[in-house]
Amino acid sequence: MKILFIALSGLIVAQPTAANPARDAILKSFASEAGVSSFSAAAGKEFFQGTHQGGKPESPSCTSCHTKNLRNQGRTRVGKVIEPMAVSANPNRFTDPEKVAKWFRRNCNTVLGRECSAAEKGNILTYLMSQ
Amino acid sequence: MPRRPNPTGKLMYADHPNFGCRCLKCAVLQLSVHVDTTPVQYRRGRARLNGVHHNRFGSVDMPHDSENKKTAYVWDKFVRGFHWLLLVCIGVSLISGYLLGATWLQLHYIAGTVAVTLVATRVLWGGLGPTYARFSSFITSTKTLRDHFDALRAGTASRHLGHNPLGALMVLALLASVLGLGLTGTIALGGIFKVGPLAFMTSFKVGSLVSYAHAFLATVLMWLIGAHIAGALFESFRTRENLPKSMVTGRKQIRVGDHAAPAKKAKPIMMTLVLIPLLGGTAYGLTNLASKPGLGVPAYPLNKTYAAECSECHIAYHPSLLSTVDWQNLMATLPNHFGEDASLDPATVSELTDWLTANASETADTKPAHVLSLTNPAKPFALTETKFWIATHQAVPAATFSRPPIFAKSNCAACHQDTATGRYLPTNIEIPRKPTS
Repeated sequence: MKILFIALSGLIVAQPTAANPARDAILKSFASEAGVSSFSAAAGKEFFQGTHQGGKPESPSCTSCHTKNLRNQGRTRVGKVIEPMAVSANPNRFTDPEKVAKWFRRNCNTVLGRECSAAEKGNILTYLMSQ
Repeated sequence: MPRRPNPTGKLMYADHPNFGCRCLKCAVLQLSVHVDTTPVQYRRGRARLNGVHHNRFGSVDMPHDSENKKTAYVWDKFVRGFHWLLLVCIGVSLISGYLLGATWLQLHYIAGTVAVTLVATRVLWGGLGPTYARFSSFITSTKTLRDHFDALRAGTASRHLGHNPLGALMVLALLASVLGLGLTGTIALGGIFKVGPLAFMTSFKVGSLVSYAHAFLATVLMWLIGAHIAGALFESFRTRENLPKSMVTGRKQIRVGDHAAPAKKAKPIMMTLVLIPLLGGTAYGLTNLASKPGLGVPAYPLNKTYAAECSECHIAYHPSLLSTVDWQNLMATLPNHFGEDASLDPATVSELTDWLTANASETADTKPAHVLSLTNPAKPFALTETKFWIATHQAVPAATFSRPPIFAKSNCAACHQDTATGRYLPTNIEIPRKPTS
């Protein structure tokens, strides 16, 4: 009984990082747009943690606001809390396609000065989902 | 010491009414054995001198201190309590009004309210109090006032057990100016901050104009207080009696030639019967009025889309903070919003623009709607770049704005507890402490 309970609670804890239909659909749409079958979390990590040019000088990297530890809260330039990006710390992340589209549009423009490609978005999403 | 008149009828040196007086004039008079013809009076076995006496300032009719220890109870407990409590209230009002700034507004208007209550009660006691508390004992005609003034200049003014005519004028001026300050203060408070019994009917414009009258009256009051202190000191020296002390003990010396008022009995029961319903009714009425919604104070909830979309990066600023034109321009330039892309889909932009312009600063009569909305054209829409913002936040060190949990000047809600209402009352400011961890 006890073993079963531990196993079940382990399942529950593991649940958020596991598949979510809405999130999978978003990822799938990026895949079909980019014409690839899978994304690379490593490439996503490099993009997310890296420093970019072409955007606003106050925010050269995604981590400028989201911080390097994705399980932590981030802060906007005026100090407002941004909930953690890591799906493990914030199970509701990336379940609303409109919200995902809005923030990729805004933040890519702010950090890079351009829109991100579907491949870049897919890599980032895969990286954030793996965290 | 005075002695009985010489039975021979011839006045001797020691019979001089002013025998023992150490003032220069009396000493000369005594040496020359020039004797005033007024006879020495006796009452209850003790001598009361009726002779000419001079003090250092050359005034007459002032028996020497040592010659008479009899005192009269002139200032009753209420009058004394009123006097010193009013001093405290006015002191607090002046300090909070002139030195402490708007964040102490609450202390200022509480002290002012107490001062006005005291004055109202004093006015009532002026009709129901004992002899020298009564207005009838000291309000005189202008002719009496002029005569007293002329007598003072001539050095022949007599002494009053209660207020002398000039002092009475000062009492009335002080009472009137406190009432005037209370009225103008209430109008200013109602119009500018939309607080208090007149908030429901006073516009910002009227409140601002009347606040000048309030400031002017405060200056007048300070001059009056200066003159009152000077007058009390002057009269103390002139009559050789510690008048400030009399306002503590309530007692003044009885002297021959005093102006005394006909004795009146205090009516404390009557006073209580009138005062309790009067103060209670007034307080009830004013509280009722104060609970009415302020004129031009926005009371609607924030649009849901606005609250959701615009508070993702910063606080949801109240629509009454910016003018219609500023909101239109701001919503049209969202892709470059204070250096960030804050773009929204066209339908949302249009919905929010409609709601914001329908509730822009022109529709509100709060202080922020009038002063914060005056944005600097060189720094469009930046509330923290307005003249008013800069002037009122000068005392806050730059480091305070950047530290947790404040983080930025634009984070109004960190310190202004009523940010969501767009009112920003100076009484609702609380700068948060640094987190300890």
